[in-house]
Amino acid sequence: MLQVLVNSLALGSAYALLALGFVLILNAVNAVNFAQGDLVMAGGFVAVAFGMLLPVPGIVLLPLVLVVMALIGRALAAVAYFPLKSRPPVSVFISTIAVGIILQNLANALFGAEPRAAPPLFAGGLVELGGIVVSRQALAIIAVAAVMIAAQYVLFQRTALGRRLRATAQDREMAEALGIRVNHVIAATFAIAAAYAGAAGLLLANTFFVTPTDGGNYILKAYIAVVIGGWGSVPGAVVGALLIALFEVMLPSLPLIVPGLAGLPGASWLFSQTIATILLYLMLLVVLVVRPQGLFGEAVQRRA
Amino acid sequence: MRRFIALAVGFLTLAPVSVVAADASIPVLVPITGFLSLEGTSQRNGALLAIKNAPAGVRVTYDVSDTGVAPETAVNALERAISRGPVTAVVASMLGTQMLAMLPVAQENKVPLVTVSGTASITERNNPYVFRFFPGDAVVKAAHIRYAAEELRARRAALIYQTTAYGQSGRQHLQENAHKAGIEIVFEESIEVAVRDMSPVLGKAKAANPDVLLLHLHAPSTALVIRQAAAMNLRLPIVSGSAMHQPPTAALLEPAELAGVCAETNASPVSGGTPEADRFLEQYRREFNAEPDGFALGQYDGVMMVLEAVAKGASNAAAVTQALSTGSHKGVAMTYRSDGKGNMAHSAVIVCYDGQTRVPRIAKRYDEILAVTR
Repeated sequence: MLQVLVNSLALGSAYALLALGFVLILNAVNAVNFAQGDLVMAGGFVAVAFGMLLPVPGIVLLPLVLVVMALIGRALAAVAYFPLKSRPPVSVFISTIAVGIILQNLANALFGAEPRAAPPLFAGGLVELGGIVVSRQALAIIAVAAVMIAAQYVLFQRTALGRRLRATAQDREMAEALGIRVNHVIAATFAIAAAYAGAAGLLLANTFFVTPTDGGNYILKAYIAVVIGGWGSVPGAVVGALLIALFEVMLPSLPLIVPGLAGLPGASWLFSQTIATILLYLMLLVVLVVRPQGLFGEAVQRRA
Repeated sequence: MRRFIALAVGFLTLAPVSVVAADASIPVLVPITGFLSLEGTSQRNGALLAIKNAPAGVRVTYDVSDTGVAPETAVNALERAISRGPVTAVVASMLGTQMLAMLPVAQENKVPLVTVSGTASITERNNPYVFRFFPGDAVVKAAHIRYAAEELRARRAALIYQTTAYGQSGRQHLQENAHKAGIEIVFEESIEVAVRDMSPVLGKAKAANPDVLLLHLHAPSTALVIRQAAAMNLRLPIVSGSAMHQPPTAALLEPAELAGVCAETNASPVSGGTPEADRFLEQYRREFNAEPDGFALGQYDGVMMVLEAVAKGASNAAAVTQALSTGSHKGVAMTYRSDGKGNMAHSAVIVCYDGQTRVPRIAKRYDEILAVTR
């Protein structure tokens, strides 16, 4: 049970970083960044590249990955947002799709199509907790993601930059009227979002590997997390991401947690990964119909 | 003098013919991107190496198209290649769903498809234009189960397979062979290629108390299962599908994680063997700066059989189809001949990792496992 819970939390924590970055850009520019999944992939490959150059644990590489990914995020804003900022949001999300495809093909050209593994955060192997064996990497992912989510909270709630970021997200015209350099703030938002996606990429690329085509899967996770958690809600994105991981890991594991379930007729089918995926998307449909504002009830906005 | 001039003209006219005896057009339509990109890249490299080593006098034109993973992309690529002019043979995607979509187009245009796809059903549709140079599921899954039953003495197996056509096909053959060998499948589950966390399926497999874990998954999922099985301390012998024998799959894992892992395949070029295999290995490394796998070798042998048919006078797709259907070819991995349905490869090997290195040793070879006598 503990092993399954730790695995769920580890996966959900990495998804949370991805979803957080997605929400930050959504709030800042009122458009969906469809390149967010490909930024996770890019972060994984940046970690792989640094790992080839510097044989050190992933935690040492994390600051380097954050910096490189922040620069990529800044470049994303320059090519995919600013030239189109006065156009309808649809232009921005199409331009981010284009950037995502460019990133995907760049990764393919530079690293090849085969899966790669980034270095573990500290060390691989297992650790025993109360008689249960769990993966060190999974625990490290949870810890690093928790620190980064807390850092995001502090940045947004306790710093001047955070106030400017929030002001711009809430009302861009008013923020501009108050003297906030909105374009700088938006560029910073893209940088932070990309850095968080890159961190997710580093965390995921050891246990789950990274391939150039992973972005599509991750953007879907981010989108679902944000719809379930509440469109534009930062805590909602984190909770939505954790819920996705719960569906992916805990639901198929129910017969292990409640051994009596294994004896039910059709149990192996009912608690399979396939059914877990179907139920996840059914939950998404239910949320859209019954509670379109999501679990955290932010104001309903247009879902690009 | 006139006779001399006539002879000279005749000689000059014939001279180029002796240099270029035949032309062949061989489009290479393989998945370079998507979840099968690892295998597709091997397929491409094997085909290109064969084209580079074409028999003297055979001039080959080719272009490489990425089919991705969508059937319609593969069909479009095939139709585009055919529309450009006469095609001698096509190196066709190893993705089963793409092959199934391409088969009617190949039949309509009478163009042979040369592939290493393992999906059984591609040669079960009475289509005379498909030639598979990798042992099909009927062959490799028989070897897969025989190794588990005869060498590992397994009686209770847990089976994890992919939800794709490849996975479904392998599952069917594994089940049939397991039944014949007296192995009970005590747990089975299919997983999508997007699934990352394998701990639920591994936990349930372990709870079923098997004595062997059978995998039939694409390369990324195979590596994920084996890594997470090691992390969970599963302590079960694993006999995997052919994805595990690929050097890039092994490169994702630590040697210790590979301890007790075996895999079926057609051949393992990195494991060494015959002088021909060693030459192939050395040239492949030089050309592509990568390690070859059985898919690359199977595709190499397939294209070489086509090119040798062209060198012997098969000047168009119909003649090449006839040569592939009725001839035999001593390739690097094995001797190929059609069973009448387009299955050209009838041998399989089981490779195993010792936990010390990422280079497997050949643990068992199964020749003519289905007793094909043609």
